[in-house]
Amino acid sequence: MRNKKNLLGRLMIIIIMLSIFIIIFSVKNVDKGKPLEMVYISKSVDEKNEFWMALISGAKMSAKEYNVNLTVVAPSYEADYEEQNKLIKEAIEKKPDAILLSPSSYTETTDMAEEIKRNEIKLVLIDSTINSNVADSIVSTGNYVAGEKMGNYMRTLINDDTKIVVVSHVKGSSTAIERETGLRNGLGKYEDKIIDVVFCESKYDKAYNLTKQLIEEHPDIDMIAALNEYSSVGSAKAVKELGLEKEVIIIGFDNSIEEVKLLEEGIINGIVIQKPFNMGYFGVEQAVKAVKGEKYVEFLDCGSELITKEFMYTDENQKMLFPFIGRQFREVIE
Amino acid sequence: MIKGKRVSKVFQYLNIRTSILMSFSILILITLLVISFIAIRYTENIVKNNSVDYTTKIIKQINNDIDSYIVSMDNISTLIAKDSEVQEYLFEDEGNKNYEYYKQRILRLFKTVRETREDIGNIAIIDSNNKYIINDGKDELSEYVSIEDTSWYKNAILKNGETFISSSHVQNVIKDNYKWVITLCRTLISPNTNEQEGVFFIDLNYNAISDLCEKNALGKKGYVFIIDENGNIIYHPKQQLIYSGLITENIEMIMNSEENYFATDLRGDSCVYTFSKSEKTGWTVVGVAYMDELIKNDNEMILVYGIVISVILGLAIIISMAISKEITKPLEILKNSMRDVEKGDFKTVNIDATGENEVVSLSNSFNIMISEIKKLMRQNVYEQKQKRKSEIRALQAQINPHFLYNTLDSIIWMSECNKTKEVVIMTSSLAKLLRESISNEEEFTTIKREVNYINSYLTIQKMRYKDKLEFKLEIEESIYSVKIIKLILQPIVENAIYHGIKYKEGKSLILIQGYDCGSEIEIIVKDTGVGMDKYQLEHIFDNCKKSEKSNGVGICNVQMRLNLTYGKEYGLIYESKKSEGTTVKIRIPKRGEIGYEE
Repeated sequence: MRNKKNLLGRLMIIIIMLSIFIIIFSVKNVDKGKPLEMVYISKSVDEKNEFWMALISGAKMSAKEYNVNLTVVAPSYEADYEEQNKLIKEAIEKKPDAILLSPSSYTETTDMAEEIKRNEIKLVLIDSTINSNVADSIVSTGNYVAGEKMGNYMRTLINDDTKIVVVSHVKGSSTAIERETGLRNGLGKYEDKIIDVVFCESKYDKAYNLTKQLIEEHPDIDMIAALNEYSSVGSAKAVKELGLEKEVIIIGFDNSIEEVKLLEEGIINGIVIQKPFNMGYFGVEQAVKAVKGEKYVEFLDCGSELITKEFMYTDENQKMLFPFIGRQFREVIE
Repeated sequence: MIKGKRVSKVFQYLNIRTSILMSFSILILITLLVISFIAIRYTENIVKNNSVDYTTKIIKQINNDIDSYIVSMDNISTLIAKDSEVQEYLFEDEGNKNYEYYKQRILRLFKTVRETREDIGNIAIIDSNNKYIINDGKDELSEYVSIEDTSWYKNAILKNGETFISSSHVQNVIKDNYKWVITLCRTLISPNTNEQEGVFFIDLNYNAISDLCEKNALGKKGYVFIIDENGNIIYHPKQQLIYSGLITENIEMIMNSEENYFATDLRGDSCVYTFSKSEKTGWTVVGVAYMDELIKNDNEMILVYGIVISVILGLAIIISMAISKEITKPLEILKNSMRDVEKGDFKTVNIDATGENEVVSLSNSFNIMISEIKKLMRQNVYEQKQKRKSEIRALQAQINPHFLYNTLDSIIWMSECNKTKEVVIMTSSLAKLLRESISNEEEFTTIKREVNYINSYLTIQKMRYKDKLEFKLEIEESIYSVKIIKLILQPIVENAIYHGIKYKEGKSLILIQGYDCGSEIEIIVKDTGVGMDKYQLEHIFDNCKKSEKSNGVGICNVQMRLNLTYGKEYGLIYESKKSEGTTVKIRIPKRGEIGYEE
């Protein structure tokens, strides 16, 4: 009898304790958790290069949104894969949750990229790729599609006597290969109008010199396809200097202020712009998803747009051409 | 129905107290949960409404701030547009000698304005002849863009001298300058022609507006943004993300909403959009507050409710424990009393219960029942006693006629032989015997009287069975005063004579001994008669009821009376061997009378 009473009392106390415990437990906030550690190894941190700046700012903004501690490093110039490989090695030693990489070389960066995966660090390639399928996710412009857009637009301007030169950037880089292939495909039957392909190694003066040289060699060149920002600005400057802006049609790639000015001036007839900000943003987003084990896509095309002078300032296009430098944007960049 | 049965079955197996306790607890728990659920909902609602009110106020405030900001900008524009030097500069003839002077004055004016307002991106006046002053006078108009093509200029023309405020756009009329700005502009009307011949504009960067929008934080995650009357974004803290198409805003819903707030889901979080439209600018200030921040004390509230519920529940359980104990206490007492009764203990049973409730009346009924039972038992005992008395009388009556006849016959016979002495002895013995048996109706007598009685009896019998019977009485005197029930020895002795000695040839002895064995008295009646075999010995008490006439009645009666009076453990013990004799042990307690005596 007495035992039974005690048992009952104990049972009640247990129930009460349990209910309090459950309530407190259910109310307790789930911790937000520590920020993820990530390193972005870019191709360039040149402040004048608006493409990379936009990409980095996108990545940083995304990092802010997703609570990521993002470190950004880059070799001193774009094509220096050796220095970049060194940076990758240093990054691996830090053992971050993920490494974001814009490989300088399609072939030479591959080993280090594989090394990243061997250390069980998530790898997201941004903008460019490598000749190995090790990355968890690739976030870039559909370079082939972008090249195709360029080719399609050029085709509308082509006549029988048209001679095209392609001023590409870094030989062997994935972006150069894909854009050129896309371009040739876009041109379709006019592909044979391409008389030469040159590489400026992402240097303004080299693009400028090469263009000048080419025009001297082939004075009848009337169309230039420039496959990145350096090529575009360099060759446009050469054409401008030679006073051939009426004769030579230039279709450029990317959008820097310099390039936009040249477009406004009418020296460049159209540009294919990428969305570097989005690339950076999605790059970090994909990396976060990969680290957290959420669903992510293996290849993300951030899109590209062909913009000509007359449509520069439409509501849509001005948003794409000019980054919105608000206060927050500045905070992120600095 | 079935469920109800099941529930009642459950209660059948639990004791009443547990049932009461459980039902109380469950009912209280359910009540508390329902109440707290409603309370939480209600509180949440109030908090939500308050928050919406609060947010609305903030948004209105921001709207006012922005209005006054725009008004202040408008004042600057008025100041400059109406400025005589500006008028002179723009609308005087080219050859005016004061041209440079005016230009310097205007530049100084611009400088002052730009220095005091860091939220001004560009400030410029341009006339239709492309005469212009921009910022510090060094900036040039872009060669590739015509000001007439810009939408803000077109709108300014339509306003005819009134201020026009553009949406967010890239300012492209100034060379090498492509900044996102909001343009506040007005055309300048020439006093000469009364035509719109120039334009003044101030480009506002977002510093002031973002300050205003971020000044009043709507929680950690909440934010404020501004759209124009067409739904274009003027300012948004994540403007670049929106322009890049990475996130979208619910502009459609804001434009279509009839109320000045609505709740919706934003990337998985539920939010409240509150907005206020400015009549002055046509802009709508939109505040986005996150529900979980609005009700940021939600968890705390639930915690408090939880603790309150637990405490109340605990108290309720303790109280219901007490109440159930109080309710079931009389039942418990009743149960214990009944258990006592089951064991046969009637004496202590009497429940002290006062009050009106069912259990009390049950207890009272129980008390009445118990006293009734006691009464019945008393009656039963009394009746039993009466029965025994009448049995003794029957016994006395039974023995008397035969014996009396035989004795009287012996007396007659002895008288005829002139054995006067023997006749006297026998007659006096008979007289003693008769006196003793009729003397009173008392059940008890003392051993001494019993011994005297048996002595008289044996004396008579010895005279009758002269050659056969000899007797001896060896009773310790110390037990003479011990009480014993009447007529114990006589039937045994009679039995011994008629069944043992009578059939034995030669003389037999009857020896009666009495001892004090501590707590009990042992009286032994030994005869040296024919004895009994095993079968007879075993069945000596068997024929108690069957044959009245047989001798068995006598000792059966004795045995029964001994048992009834002293309990089962006392009574007669027969020991006998064929042809050797019989010994009867009578054991009674020394204390005398016990058992069903009141």
